[in-house]
Amino acid sequence: MIKLYFTTPKNSVISTISRLLFCLITVLIFISRPVLAEESQEQSDKRDLRMGQRLFMGLVDFKSGRFDCSSCHYLGATEEINWNPSAYDLAIAWLEEDGTDIYQVMNNPVSERLEEEHYGMTITSEEERLLQVFLKHVAEEGPGVLKPYPINTFAFWIMGILMALAIIDLLFTKRVRYRFIHVAVLIIGIGVHTAFARIESVKVGRSQGYAPDQPIKFSHKIHAGENQIDCRYCHFIADYSLSGGIPSNSICLNCHNVIKNGTNSGAFEINKIHRAAKTGEPVRWVRIHKLPDHTFFSHAQHTNVAGIECQTCHGPVEEMHIVKQVEDLSMGWCINCHRDTKIQFFENEYYTTFNELYDKLKSGAIDSITASEIGGINCMKCHY
Amino acid sequence: MKKYWKSLEEYNGTHFDPGEEDQSGISTFELLSSENNESKTSRRDFLKWCGFSFMSATVLASCESPIKKAIPYLNQPEDITPGMASWYASSFYDGKDFCPILVKVRDGRPIKIEGNKSVMLTHGGTTGRVQASVLSLYDTAGRYHHPFYNGEKTTWEQADRDIAGKLDSARKDIVLLTSTIISPSTQEVINRFKNRYNNFRHVVYDAISYSAIREANLLSFNRREIPFYRFDSAGLIVGFNADFLANWLLPVTYTRQYADSRALRKDKKEMSRHLQFESGMSVTGANADKRFKIKPHEELQILQGTYNILAGNGNGSEPEQAKNLAAEIRKNENKTLIVSGTNDIKVQTLVNAINYMAGSYGNTIDFTNSLNLCQGNDKDLQQLVNDMEAGKISALIVGDANPVYDYPGNGFKNALDKVDLKVSFSSVLNETSELADYILPSPHYLESWDDVAPANGFYGVAQPTIRPLFDTRQMQDSLLKWSDNDLSYKDLIKELWEKQIFTKQNKTGLFTAFWQESLQLGVFTPEIESVNVNISNEALATAGSLQKATVNEGWDLVFYESTALGDGRHANNPWLQELPDPVSKVCWDNFAAISPVDAEVLGVNNGDLIRLFEGVELPVIVQPGQKEKTVSVALGYGRQRSGKVAEGIGVNVFNFVEFKDGYKKYNVSIDQPVKTKAKTDLALTQTHHNMEGRAIVRESVLTAWQNDPASGNELHEFNEAHKATLYPEAKFEGHHWALAVDLNRCIGCSACVIACQAENNVPVIGKREVMRRRIMHWMRIDRYYTGETDNPGVVFQPLMCQHCDNAPCENVCPVAATTHSDEGINQITYNRCVGTKYCINNCPYKVRRFNWFQYSKNKAFDYNMNDDIGRMVLNPDVTVRERGVVEKCSFCVQRIQEVKLKAKLENRKVMDGEIQPACVQACPGKALVFGDLNDPDSEVSKLFKDERNYHVLEEMHLLPSVGYLTKIRNV
Repeated sequence: MIKLYFTTPKNSVISTISRLLFCLITVLIFISRPVLAEESQEQSDKRDLRMGQRLFMGLVDFKSGRFDCSSCHYLGATEEINWNPSAYDLAIAWLEEDGTDIYQVMNNPVSERLEEEHYGMTITSEEERLLQVFLKHVAEEGPGVLKPYPINTFAFWIMGILMALAIIDLLFTKRVRYRFIHVAVLIIGIGVHTAFARIESVKVGRSQGYAPDQPIKFSHKIHAGENQIDCRYCHFIADYSLSGGIPSNSICLNCHNVIKNGTNSGAFEINKIHRAAKTGEPVRWVRIHKLPDHTFFSHAQHTNVAGIECQTCHGPVEEMHIVKQVEDLSMGWCINCHRDTKIQFFENEYYTTFNELYDKLKSGAIDSITASEIGGINCMKCHY
Repeated sequence: MKKYWKSLEEYNGTHFDPGEEDQSGISTFELLSSENNESKTSRRDFLKWCGFSFMSATVLASCESPIKKAIPYLNQPEDITPGMASWYASSFYDGKDFCPILVKVRDGRPIKIEGNKSVMLTHGGTTGRVQASVLSLYDTAGRYHHPFYNGEKTTWEQADRDIAGKLDSARKDIVLLTSTIISPSTQEVINRFKNRYNNFRHVVYDAISYSAIREANLLSFNRREIPFYRFDSAGLIVGFNADFLANWLLPVTYTRQYADSRALRKDKKEMSRHLQFESGMSVTGANADKRFKIKPHEELQILQGTYNILAGNGNGSEPEQAKNLAAEIRKNENKTLIVSGTNDIKVQTLVNAINYMAGSYGNTIDFTNSLNLCQGNDKDLQQLVNDMEAGKISALIVGDANPVYDYPGNGFKNALDKVDLKVSFSSVLNETSELADYILPSPHYLESWDDVAPANGFYGVAQPTIRPLFDTRQMQDSLLKWSDNDLSYKDLIKELWEKQIFTKQNKTGLFTAFWQESLQLGVFTPEIESVNVNISNEALATAGSLQKATVNEGWDLVFYESTALGDGRHANNPWLQELPDPVSKVCWDNFAAISPVDAEVLGVNNGDLIRLFEGVELPVIVQPGQKEKTVSVALGYGRQRSGKVAEGIGVNVFNFVEFKDGYKKYNVSIDQPVKTKAKTDLALTQTHHNMEGRAIVRESVLTAWQNDPASGNELHEFNEAHKATLYPEAKFEGHHWALAVDLNRCIGCSACVIACQAENNVPVIGKREVMRRRIMHWMRIDRYYTGETDNPGVVFQPLMCQHCDNAPCENVCPVAATTHSDEGINQITYNRCVGTKYCINNCPYKVRRFNWFQYSKNKAFDYNMNDDIGRMVLNPDVTVRERGVVEKCSFCVQRIQEVKLKAKLENRKVMDGEIQPACVQACPGKALVFGDLNDPDSEVSKLFKDERNYHVLEEMHLLPSVGYLTKIRNV
């Protein structure tokens, strides 16, 4: 198309040719119109997406002023609690068939909290359209994923490069005069790499410190800490099952049928429970504490029989907004506990099976019996 | 000392170990790479991989573990606790075998079948087939996933519309052909169907027919019934070609009765005497005190002679065996039980007459609880095929039966073409369905509602334990729909129970309560009136006047049911295919068993192919105890369409069964078999593990035992007296688990082997790997012969890890992967094991198994563990082992732990008998007893103190935790 403006007819032949050319191109354009139109549609989609992204991230102004949605509605996963719904949460909430209307929420907030938070933020229908294009994209991308336990490989790579340089210099370039520098670099490098390999390979399969984002911003601190709900109210099978038990949706609804507004997150997070009940699609929690498949562990044995506090293994859950794996759940850690823990021998009739030990303990010949003394560290206690 | 031998080669001193020579010709490396079987791995590749693995270790250290989800229930059902198993009472019935069962369901998946202990009929026993049936549920390749019309996928609605239309317009007969139906509700469904279509008839047949027994009882007692046999009340048990311990009618019940009658205790000094007359060596024959090998025609002669002598008409010309038998029967008046498995009315009438004269009726045979099993009528079946041939049948509906495969000859298959509408209800792929117009898949019995009445006065319920995996519908629901009933089959069962069965009791006044209780218990046994019978003169006259049998001096071919596969309906079950036959110890094949004498005549040896008929060639097994000039071949093999496991395994010999006088005859006369040049390899497991001729089984005879309970076990006393050690004896605080095996109660049926496989995720490895002696079974049943090769005695010995207190395997492990627990268990930690196999070498019992390959998720081992649905059967409490580790029996430590925890939760000690490893639970004869040796009152402690108790290889001072009680024969 642009070419046409360059063709200024000088004589008739040229003008004829250029006219023919013009016709040809016009015809071509006419024929290829749908393709071009589609391309431009795609381009405009892209433009819309980019504009929506900029709006959401506060890079361009809304009509009513500049505000950054993503400062509250995070685009990625976080380790710190952020009570506001994430961008992904919003996206899936709005994309539902009878989902929330953004325009409605922003311009006529339904709750006090929404009104307070979004005061002065009104959007036009065009802005709403752009935001929706962007959020649709966010929903397609899926939720932000937090690495289970990211590893700092910086020192590993730096030392690797330095060692490579030291070898090259030692053999070919020979810029550094003092050999001990090469040797030092190599020794330190090998040390760093070995230490890295050791530390990291020990961590393989363990996830100490793992605190992933959960699909619902459920805070144990609020439930178990502030509201003093007993662990076993929700994890009620822990006392008689192998599994501690992730509470079913119906257990949440026992209370949240009535409590529909949270202190921190408003109705948004609690709504997810109701949504699950309505759609029949259970909440997919991210599993944190997990022993390997070849390790057999029974909650009932520990919580019920031995009377171990939940916190012994799970850490101070009642202080956590986001649950984090405190212990490394390694075999050494298990065994140490089995070595130290004294058995409440007289509490359970079962232990009369160990009649000799029982008598000794009763007569005071020994003052305590640990789990390891009655087979608590046998391999087949946990592995079979 | 008696000589014990496991194979003829060993007997002759030409011991040949099949494992020494690799017969399969397949490189180990080929199996190692599951992806590409063509590439060979060289040493260079190995070094490359070494280098790579070092690199990958570093990479691995920096990788993330996958994000795992924890998805709870939306509404947690009240009766389901995640992580804990639920148990449901149900009934196993496959058209032939019946067993009351409990189904273990873990997180919605049935994973294990156990016998229902509260049912007096079976006392919690099972067979291998019952144990293995749970695997068939997950057989993706062996089941139909949706209805078919002419090989194309169709919908139920479409099929219903079409078939109902065709049935309505049928001018000629509509026939429903099924195997025996023992469900009163299904009978009701069929009655309703009959009311809807007046040109309908129902034909019942059994692949293994018991028609003659019913007809003979009709003649003798005017009852077309099979009575209830009581082997426990019999002092003399005589079996003619009846494998009542493994296959015949109710093997679980009979095994328990038989074991009870043969058990010896301080307060029970008598045991029954068992005589067996048969051609091939069956499990039952192997257990007999005296076994007579006979040609098929001799049975009639012996019975006729015995009858004549007992009736006082003996003329001295009777066969010697008849004279002896008659004398024994006279000694055991009122406590004799004679059974015959021959499907011949002459034989059965004679058996009835002899039993009657011996006073068995009312004592060892009872018509009160007569059986509803095996109602098939051979004459009806023949009539049906004739009608089909004559074009008199419009529609043939086949209900979970496979006549194309098991009908004698090709008659059925040919006649099937002349039927206009062929519908097959089948839960599994079979040859008959493949030829049907409509295949309407029925669910597996663990997905279905049903009821059963296997005997008079015995009702059972079968309930679903999982939602149907595939798009299936029960036959009964279809029939109800086609007869214009809106009722579902489940509702019909409840309705029928309310009307007919609820009224048989007066304990509960409310039907709902009665129904719930029946569901919970699985069975309902009302009181019924006892029945006394008198034999008809007609039968006695017939028995007395029977003609001499036609004597066949030539060769006979005898068909029998194999202990693993039965009549072949479970052929696609890899557990059963890999279960070694108790007597021959061959798996993954059927074979022609011939006697050692004949083998010499024919010049054949194990594995040589002989031709029995044109085009039928089978590998030879030289079977000690086989009657000369007879060949025994197992039925149930040679399936053409069954799913990938069974197809092409063995040869189908159902074709050669004959109809004679209206009865199926399971032996035929043949020409002398011809040796062919070909040879095939058999997967024979008995010679895999050799204990080098030490005193492994000990036995004695009843009279000697009565005088001295330690008879035959003198070595034990000697060994006990000469125990000496430098080390302190192992001491066990708390528990000391042990297992006692009563060789007098063990009949070698191998139910325990399958139970162990199901419980402990033992992999199936296929024929070629079994041939390399790599079978993974944690427990095996060793079979020893004793005496001469022509008719040897047999001893079965279950052998699992002996959990030695001085375990030789533990000392040699370089990584301490196998250690001794504080409860006396020899434990193995798979994750520590590096696969040196030192322990295997050092184990004198040869009970340790090595994972030569990755058996799960490996295309080279395409059994249930290579399939997502197939893996659903795995027990989540037991680790699936990796390649390169050693494994073995753990005494089912997961069950020990479970029960201990239960005891702690209930604030009590573990009760004796509460812990039952899978083998102990499954045993129909209660031959295995598990318990705590530290408890002096436990059953196992008492058995360990019994004079009969000994330990295998006890002279080595390994102090095993498994004890065996000597076998006592009543000769």
